[in-house]
Amino acid sequence: MLATGAVGAGLATVAGSAPESAAAPRGKRYFQHGVASGDPRPHQVIIWTRITPTAASRPGSGKGPKVQVTWEVARDAKFNKIVRRGTFHTGPGRDHTVKLDVSGLKPATWYHYRFSYRGERSRVGRTRTAPAKKSSPRNLRFGVVSCVNWQAGYFAAYRGVAARDDLHAVLCMGDYLYEYGPGGYGYGFDNVDIRRHDPPREMVSLEDYRRRHAQYKTDPDLQDAHAKYPFIVTWDDHEVANDQWRGGAENHQSGEGNYQRRRARSHRAYDEWMPVRMNGTTKLGDGARLYRRLRFGRLAEISMLDLRTYRSKGIGGVPTPVPNPDAAVSNPNRTLTGKRQMAWLKKSLVRKRALWKVIGNPVMIAPVSFVQLPGDLLGPINDVTGLLPDDGFPYNTDQWDGYTHDRREVYNYIRNHHVENALFITGDIHSGWAADLPYDIATYPLSGSAGVEFVCTSVTSNNLKDLIGAPRRTASLAVETLIKANNRHIKYLNFDDHGFSVLDITAKRAQMDWYIIGDRAKKNTPITWTASYLTRTGTNKVIKAKGPVR
Amino acid sequence: MCETVHPSPGPSPFELGAADITAGRRTVLAAGAGVMLSAAAGALDAEAAEAAGKPLSRTKKRAYVLVVDGCIPEEIDSGLTPNLRRLRNQGLRFSRASSMPIMETIPNHVMMMTGLRPDRSGVPANAIYDRKRRTVRDMDRPSDIRSDTVIQRLNRHGLRTGTVLSKEYLYGVFGGRAKRRWEPGPIIPISGHAPDIFTMRAAEAMVKNYDPHLMFINLGDVDRFGHMDLTGPLGVKALRQLALVDTDRLVGGFVDLLKARGLWKHSMLIVLADHSMDWSRPDRIISVAGKLDADPLLRGKVQIADNGGADLLYWTGPKARKEEAIRRMKRICQKVPGVLATHDRRTPWLRLGPEAGDVIVYAKQGWRFSDPDPITSNPIPGNHGHPATRSIPFFISGGHPRIPRRRASPSVAHTIDVAPTVADFFGIKGSPKGGWDGRSRLPRR
Repeated sequence: MLATGAVGAGLATVAGSAPESAAAPRGKRYFQHGVASGDPRPHQVIIWTRITPTAASRPGSGKGPKVQVTWEVARDAKFNKIVRRGTFHTGPGRDHTVKLDVSGLKPATWYHYRFSYRGERSRVGRTRTAPAKKSSPRNLRFGVVSCVNWQAGYFAAYRGVAARDDLHAVLCMGDYLYEYGPGGYGYGFDNVDIRRHDPPREMVSLEDYRRRHAQYKTDPDLQDAHAKYPFIVTWDDHEVANDQWRGGAENHQSGEGNYQRRRARSHRAYDEWMPVRMNGTTKLGDGARLYRRLRFGRLAEISMLDLRTYRSKGIGGVPTPVPNPDAAVSNPNRTLTGKRQMAWLKKSLVRKRALWKVIGNPVMIAPVSFVQLPGDLLGPINDVTGLLPDDGFPYNTDQWDGYTHDRREVYNYIRNHHVENALFITGDIHSGWAADLPYDIATYPLSGSAGVEFVCTSVTSNNLKDLIGAPRRTASLAVETLIKANNRHIKYLNFDDHGFSVLDITAKRAQMDWYIIGDRAKKNTPITWTASYLTRTGTNKVIKAKGPVR
Repeated sequence: MCETVHPSPGPSPFELGAADITAGRRTVLAAGAGVMLSAAAGALDAEAAEAAGKPLSRTKKRAYVLVVDGCIPEEIDSGLTPNLRRLRNQGLRFSRASSMPIMETIPNHVMMMTGLRPDRSGVPANAIYDRKRRTVRDMDRPSDIRSDTVIQRLNRHGLRTGTVLSKEYLYGVFGGRAKRRWEPGPIIPISGHAPDIFTMRAAEAMVKNYDPHLMFINLGDVDRFGHMDLTGPLGVKALRQLALVDTDRLVGGFVDLLKARGLWKHSMLIVLADHSMDWSRPDRIISVAGKLDADPLLRGKVQIADNGGADLLYWTGPKARKEEAIRRMKRICQKVPGVLATHDRRTPWLRLGPEAGDVIVYAKQGWRFSDPDPITSNPIPGNHGHPATRSIPFFISGGHPRIPRRRASPSVAHTIDVAPTVADFFGIKGSPKGGWDGRSRLPRR
């Protein structure tokens, strides 16, 4: 591996740099994968790009020279007020990615950044630092996305995110990309590939993962979203392989080599290609811990979880959405978070520094189940028989419903310490949800709620109507009604649409707006608002909002 | 039972108050509708003269500290309390607010009026083991408060102060600190408190007859009905909900009175609770007395002050074995089902002072202590004192221009913030020796 990394952070304001001229190339030769930023802190933010110094330096190729890239950060889009600049050495050992933590910035401030190489400048990216730790921002507003399958269509949802001017950052709740090869997972009932994945095979090798990341970052809508806002990301399963757990994945077969090595390659590519601090740094190869906290003044602290790397194997048994009666979902020896992350999550919840404890939660925590019994009745039954799951028969054991002991541990901790304003923001399930988090699903609402969960739908990945081939708002309505009737804590459910969400947080309430797109197969498909739900501070309950935030 | 079965040795606070009146040490002032206010003997003449030389006494500002005892923050959004909700939404609300250890009535009321934590005020819990008197007792004596209060601060500036406290032990601990005091009545014998309808009638009478600059009001119904609510563990809270509706109606009436008398536009109304409330079933009772007694070192040498959701343990054996005893008490209690945590009382963040004993034991949500007797010591379902009852409502309303309109703060407000906020509102400079432990919650001018 070639030794590469950041060199020479810039100094104080450097004024008078020439503005980007109309004649300057737009970074199409060397900067083909756009720019990005992420993980904002009050005085720091990550900026990212990828350079293609020679035609041979294709992503994943391992070819091409070691090069030096210049970066600049300015207060203005014309770069008249440059505040930091420096150079960065990259090369084939890191797939020619450039990723550095720019420090010495002012809190809650918009910055512009760009890279240059051999006279060519990248497009200009815009980013924003987090508010000062002791500040009380009037509001925080985030775009929320998840489940982005290239083959299933165009990324209109990212277009919607990029078109807004009112966000502070974008939360990506996982499945930023998919591992399948062409024909493996596409658009709708017939699995049509609207666009074909590169490489044209399931990603398994480091080259595969790098190429897939590179392909996604050529999408113009995704490039625009990255250039407009800092991203705060976590992964779910498809960044490695479907239904991954700590020792394997549903979509990992023995012929595909050692799973741990495959996962390490995936994590390596993720670290190279995503604007994220893994293990707390931008350094590559120093660890793959993705769970981390990001503080936004006194208003919110976001704790991003990793619910794949440490989890026990799923119980399987029956396919989703058939209710699963297997009591193994409540086996205390099985874990979703892992012991260390669970302790860390508890610490996140009990910290008093911020009003809203926002949990970036890759899979749903709200129970969705059938045949529920009150906890007080269930305990004695299970003491004798051990036959029943804790929170009813879940329809999807790939989420917290398949690991109810961990969920109980979180809920009990919230209850015992009277943790307020726990707000779980979730992806994964290709549908929109708003739900309270009942302590005891059978006796809800009398038994109270541990917090609230808002789930964004998928950018493109298939949902229920796609899978059954039914028109929108027809067959799904019956399923939604059935689920809501059996799960009174679920206030909003939309199984049909794709899109993105906007999360707005103030000291009075947190509100999620769901925006939906038309046909994913059409590049210019329309984007419309469909629903808004909110939770007021201290209530742990979801209610319908009058309309989207303005 | 927590709160009511630890009477101090000797006469009760009400008996002491009555004795003061009988002996002529306090003067009773009839305020109509059967309301009895009292003042220190001779105070009526002295007050006018004292105020004459104090420029602050001419202020039109009024501050009302209204404690909805035991209220849970989400109850303000329950639909049962439209007046409280309106007051919260119109003013400056703290979306996070917290009671302080031990999350009980007396210490948190004392923290409100002193602005100091218990290691400085001297009042860490409702019930303590009094090492001098060798008995577990409520902290209901005026001498239990070791520090100055904001009430006395205002008194010294010639401002009129009044207390309208519904509970016997609050009446007792604040004693004659205010220039006017309500002599509560009628008192419900078991709960030891006056119903809110009478408390609020007294508050209104005090406004009409005395118009204090600062009035400290405790409304006890929400707490008292909560303690006794057998439907609480089921989540129904039927009695509690009735109390909330009624108390809210009375608060609305009080605000209407302030508006009708032209006081609202000069007013700051701080509404908060002293702690929230948790309910437990009869099978979720923790009793550590027997477990401690089974230990050869601890047997007969530990006293327990039961505070509902918190037990305070006192080592009464030889000093030389104290550290070992503390370790053992913690270890034994930590294993008892329903115990959330045990703390060495000297843990710096607790700031409880020696009156709180040696070890603090907290219950989990949905559990309560009943010590020393697991059956009789605490049979009531509603309790507080443990971390699950830390969250409280806290908002500042009123018509005075300094009160922010329709604003929410993400900062954490505490019961200790009340005194510095009141002092700041009146523009009273200075702070207790060593400074306030709380801070003013009004925006800086």
